[in-house]
Amino acid sequence: MSTEQKLQTAEQLLAPWNKETIRPEENRLDVVIQPEALHEAASALHEAKWGYLSAITGMDMGVEAGQLEALYHFCNGPAITSLRVRLPRAGAVVPTIADIIPPATFFEREIKEMFGIKVDGLAVTDHLFLPEDWLPDVYPQRVDFTIEQAKAMEVSHADQMPEPGRVGENTFVVPIGPQHPALKEPGHFSFTVDGEIVTAAKMRLGYAHRGIEKAAESRSWVENLYLFERVCGICSHTHAMAFSMGVEQLAKVEVPARAQAIRELVAGLERVHSHLLWLGVTAHEAGFDTLFMYSWRDRETVMNLLEQITGNRVNYSANVLGGVKCEIGDEQSKAIKEGLTYLETRIRHYLEVVTTDAMFLNRTRGIGTITAPEAERFGLLGPTARASGVARDVRIEAPYGAYVRYPVSLVTETNGDLEARCVVRLKELLVSCFAMRSILDNMPEGPLTARMPRKIPAGETVARVEAPRGELFYYIKSNGGEIPVRVHVRTPSLCNWVSVLEKAVGRQLADVPMLIAGMDPCFSCNDRVVTVVDSRTSENWSWKRLREYGIEYYSR
Amino acid sequence: MNTLTSIVTLLIFPAGITLILAGMFYEWIDRNLVARFQNRVGPRWFQPFADAVKLLAKEQIKPAIINPYLFFGLPIFALAGALTAALYVPLFGLAPPHSLTGDLVITIYLLSLPTMCIGLAGWNTTSRFSLIGATRTLTQLFAYEAPFLLALLGPALVAGSWQISEINGYAQNHWLILTQPIGFIVAVIGLMGKLELPPFDAPEAETEIVAGALTEYSGRGLMMFHLAKSAELVIGLTLVSSFYLGGLNGIGLFLIKTIILLFFMSILQSLLTRLRIDQTVGLWWRFGAILVLAQILVTILWKGFMP
Repeated sequence: MSTEQKLQTAEQLLAPWNKETIRPEENRLDVVIQPEALHEAASALHEAKWGYLSAITGMDMGVEAGQLEALYHFCNGPAITSLRVRLPRAGAVVPTIADIIPPATFFEREIKEMFGIKVDGLAVTDHLFLPEDWLPDVYPQRVDFTIEQAKAMEVSHADQMPEPGRVGENTFVVPIGPQHPALKEPGHFSFTVDGEIVTAAKMRLGYAHRGIEKAAESRSWVENLYLFERVCGICSHTHAMAFSMGVEQLAKVEVPARAQAIRELVAGLERVHSHLLWLGVTAHEAGFDTLFMYSWRDRETVMNLLEQITGNRVNYSANVLGGVKCEIGDEQSKAIKEGLTYLETRIRHYLEVVTTDAMFLNRTRGIGTITAPEAERFGLLGPTARASGVARDVRIEAPYGAYVRYPVSLVTETNGDLEARCVVRLKELLVSCFAMRSILDNMPEGPLTARMPRKIPAGETVARVEAPRGELFYYIKSNGGEIPVRVHVRTPSLCNWVSVLEKAVGRQLADVPMLIAGMDPCFSCNDRVVTVVDSRTSENWSWKRLREYGIEYYSR
Repeated sequence: MNTLTSIVTLLIFPAGITLILAGMFYEWIDRNLVARFQNRVGPRWFQPFADAVKLLAKEQIKPAIINPYLFFGLPIFALAGALTAALYVPLFGLAPPHSLTGDLVITIYLLSLPTMCIGLAGWNTTSRFSLIGATRTLTQLFAYEAPFLLALLGPALVAGSWQISEINGYAQNHWLILTQPIGFIVAVIGLMGKLELPPFDAPEAETEIVAGALTEYSGRGLMMFHLAKSAELVIGLTLVSSFYLGGLNGIGLFLIKTIILLFFMSILQSLLTRLRIDQTVGLWWRFGAILVLAQILVTILWKGFMP
């Protein structure tokens, strides 16, 4: 079915509630519906198995307009249907759709906290991102939010006693995080355990929320590229790539073929780095430190390659709007090929280890099994979904950039347990290495960048990229100015949390860190506002002050 | 004079300070070997000593809701238990300072004392990590203790004595690893379980329950538990190598045999993935106990029919 046919099907499905149809781009359909009709419209798409709910974008149209918007994006291959719900600024209410589409819970909690769109029927009322004592009726992502509004809640909780955690005779609440050896980043899980068996699970994010989406609304397009690169320290390239792809789509700029090939190449190396890192973390959670040490040693190879190409190890900064910054010459090409040869032998070895080591299999085989229908229901993405046999990979469903010319093949497993997730990730690396070799062998000639305008034409677009953890979703809106009006980022980890919370119940506490690691969580991706407070004077630092401090620090 | 000798044996040589220093040395070998197997460099020779000095110098933080007598007393009991156990074993290949009929049972009891103290220490605090860790420590104790005891019983049966020095003497003429291989394997793995080394480190699995039963301990208390563990390592190695590896006679043989044993334990530590607590219990009762019982049955029959 072509994209056009898919969109027509969607339009027919949504016809009963359709108030207005907009076609912002070729592959997108916007259907304006009344808030009351949302539940029926979403279930119509869901029951017809038209794609999956990818993200819910909240938007504040401004104080004068007096309106909020919520966009429910459904993706089906390259086709995207958005249900656009227009709401008044005061008393915005939408019905929950989490009862039919469970991953919507996290999206709905996000728009509820950030935009003050009340979600009727939401089972969980705790905060997901904001502090528990955040003032009511203060919504940080609304346009009229000021930092002074947040100051009122800066109260110290240092002297409070923690809750004792004893629920019943043998039942305890075991807190994992925000500071815990199993977590390399701050998040909080509370698992109720009866002896060793987990009976309930709850989670909370936002400990490292930096408000990047909000910050983007006061920066130029170019500055934002570097800002979004810092959403995540592991998949920084995919974030920058998704953002620049979106901006290029808005500006209708064609990126040169060579630049696209280099983008895919760096993305491939980044995937190797990310998955090897993940393998090490998982092995460590399982208590198999030898595998952890070895996989991280081999990860150094790919880190060195990235450093050689881009000059950086973490935030590679390979992208510029309209192309890439770094050239792959003969010397780099040779180094990459040598590195890939070494990595391929090591990856094959690890593949053998994770499928044959009896003690490791004790902790992975048959643990946290997610069946294909469950994976569909939870809305899983990326390798976690592919391990359950769900063919969900943006690089294949909706090829972008150089993936049209240098395609990758789909890797799926059917078992859906932790072992399958290890196997999928490692096999995926071999596929990536193969694609990288074909890029290096047939590198197109030409310039590295195309000229970009300073002001980006008005419009809105969606950019989707397959990050190492799954589909990364960017929604970008411009009003024709030098700065974006709204950039919404939905990271893959947010969609995969449901699987941990559902699967931990009934399992042993010892399996929980493995389950958390099994979906390759990235907290910093989920948490995107920082307030820097000077501990001596306890004053809030402005961005300008921070920048000056940075320059001063490095010039010393 | 006699009192003075007793004090010297208990506090300076061979138990006491010498044993603690030996414990640090063996800990360093173990850490270094594991590090080498994992493609790391490992700590320098004085690292365990530096850790001890640093921790002993640090403040010990007392949690609000605990029994203070237990909290401060348990580490001392643990260390005392381990040091006392050293008096009955041929430490450094020398004859044990004290020897009496049935001292094998006393030694095994004393060696369990640190583990019991750690279990109680975890139970004494209200930290949930400690409570779960304590439960796991004690569960594991019940899993490995009986097979470990049975594995040491095998040599005792063939030697016809419950006295460690006599078994040691018997073993000098008989390499029991050849006649009782199953007993040897169970004893080595039992020792690893006793010391909570990987893969039996579920009671202190940091990715689940932080530091297990010792989560609330800091400074001196933590260090004393740590030293008790190091002493236990040396005593355990001495026991197993004197029973199974042709006895211990002289310091050279002691060093060679115990370090070879430690080498194999380090390989196992770096090769194996941590077992969940249910898997540990299952392993011991389903395989360990039954295998070692079969071994003892064979030994008894052999002794009965071939005088």
